[in-house]
Amino acid sequence: MKYIEHLNNLIKTEVVKPEHAVLFGQNINAGSCLGGLTKGMAVKPGGRIINSTNSENSLVGFGFGLMLNGAQGVFFMKQMDFLLLGIDQLVNTYNIIRSAKHQPKEGSFTVVATVVDSGYEGPQSSLNNFADFCSVARIPGFAVTNRADADYIFSKHLFRSGFRVIGLSQRLGKTEIIDPGEPVKVFGDGTIFQYSKGEDATLVSFNFSFPQAQSLNEALKKAGINADHFNVNSAVATDWFPILERVSRTKKIIVVDDSKSVHISADSLLAELTGKPIEKKVVIKRKINENWLYPVSDVFEIDEKKVIEEIK
Amino acid sequence: MEELEKEAEEMMRIRLSQILINEEYKAGRFKVPVHLALGHEAIAVALNWVLEDNDRLILSHRNMAYNLARLGKLRPILDEYLLKLTGLSGGKLGSMNLINPARGIIYSSSILGNNFPVAVGVAMADKISGRECVTFVLGGDGSTEEGSFYESLVMAKTLGVKLIFLVENNEWSLGTHILERRCQIDIQKMTGSVDIPYFKIKDNHVHKYFEILANVRESALRESNPICVEVMVKTLGDRKADDGHYINYHAGPTPSVDVTKHFPGGILRENEEDPIFVVSRELGKEKILEISRNVMKELKRELT
Repeated sequence: MKYIEHLNNLIKTEVVKPEHAVLFGQNINAGSCLGGLTKGMAVKPGGRIINSTNSENSLVGFGFGLMLNGAQGVFFMKQMDFLLLGIDQLVNTYNIIRSAKHQPKEGSFTVVATVVDSGYEGPQSSLNNFADFCSVARIPGFAVTNRADADYIFSKHLFRSGFRVIGLSQRLGKTEIIDPGEPVKVFGDGTIFQYSKGEDATLVSFNFSFPQAQSLNEALKKAGINADHFNVNSAVATDWFPILERVSRTKKIIVVDDSKSVHISADSLLAELTGKPIEKKVVIKRKINENWLYPVSDVFEIDEKKVIEEIK
Repeated sequence: MEELEKEAEEMMRIRLSQILINEEYKAGRFKVPVHLALGHEAIAVALNWVLEDNDRLILSHRNMAYNLARLGKLRPILDEYLLKLTGLSGGKLGSMNLINPARGIIYSSSILGNNFPVAVGVAMADKISGRECVTFVLGGDGSTEEGSFYESLVMAKTLGVKLIFLVENNEWSLGTHILERRCQIDIQKMTGSVDIPYFKIKDNHVHKYFEILANVRESALRESNPICVEVMVKTLGDRKADDGHYINYHAGPTPSVDVTKHFPGGILRENEEDPIFVVSRELGKEKILEISRNVMKELKRELT
């Protein structure tokens, strides 16, 4: 099953549960206009599905209004860069609501948006770092990269009281969904997933680099290197302890981050490791070249042989 | 006449409360920005009377007159501006974002035009829950320049929500007259373009305001549709700048208003721009002086 099909099935399962779900967004529920996402959704009679206007800033404010007044809203957004128009609402409205003495307890609001990381959107593709949106106001956010984190995140967070953003990957959309099996452990309500445990090295992947990290982990194993694999799904409120604790044992770390921003989540972890006794450190980041503003493939490639040599 | 006296008392309480807040401001006691709304008393009192228990009120940064009207007290609001634990929101919100959920004020925004779409969402939640109530959202004429105003008109009309856009037009934005910055915006034409009924009210007759707002509320409830009311207000306390042209305070105290000069009586301008002057014409100046002394006595008691 394709990534997008699996996510859509999860969404369809969840949206029929609340009494007053309000699902909205441009062209939602209208077939394949969102690449198949939201196709065939249904809600209970007390809810609504709204094929909305083209006004992202106001639609984000609308979602906060629903939440304030006890409803459960989900804004499905075709591309996360459209959310730039809603930054005022993401920062100011969310902060105003959070700072009140009496905060709404029942309502919820979730933005489900697809990060433009295929590369072929040209200038829009530079903004592929999901954490950038979360960072502006320390917004809870969850990047969905595979079957295990998708199942967990959609069932736990789509209608949870309060606000969050769930980020999907355009690049992964039409690929087969990766099934990593049962995670070793899930930390912080889905902020970090651990997929393997090993004594030789600790591998940590960020943003939407899970597929590359998983492949690297398999290559490491074949080379006789048993590694932990953590995937960091959220950029904020991340308790690094589980990773730091493992690195203190393995003394070797590999970080993988496919984000294009200047400030990336991997740097936060690396800063936490400053002064810690580490024998080997391999950092795999994007190499920004002169083509980064143009429509080109955005596939993030890792020289696995080189990494194996460096970490041995 | 009894009803008019009650209206005058409520307006006077808001006026004198603001004059006292201005004195605190001049003394430098606030760390947060505070936006006075001298001259906005008539619409605030009328709206307070119109609101039913389940109705919602979504305010902007210049929310002082409405918060004073809804609460009926000065002390918790003054304490909030002073960031005290005894403040209306425990000193967490200050002035620009001050809310009072127990009295229907569930969101106030410090960002121009930010509150319009939030109000559409609030009204939509009431619609799907089948609650019999109306949401009022407040903005100034400056906020109608924001895209979110028009976007929210379109959304509110499309969704058929019971939402009343209340636009206070004081013809000022920040410290300058609106015409120094932009062309005229015809709000009636804007709302008309999406078939939203529009009403314009002026002259500060509080009872007339009450009747119009009550009818508008009933209509929104009955028709399940948004309505826009533009109210002409004069934010009093403006002054002549050194270069000769008039400027208005945006936030900050107004040096042209002083408790020793404007009490008793509370009148700041002897024409229809001042709601206290308007009501004094009907009740007589002696009655207004008496009301102002009684209200001040209550406020002083509250503050000690």
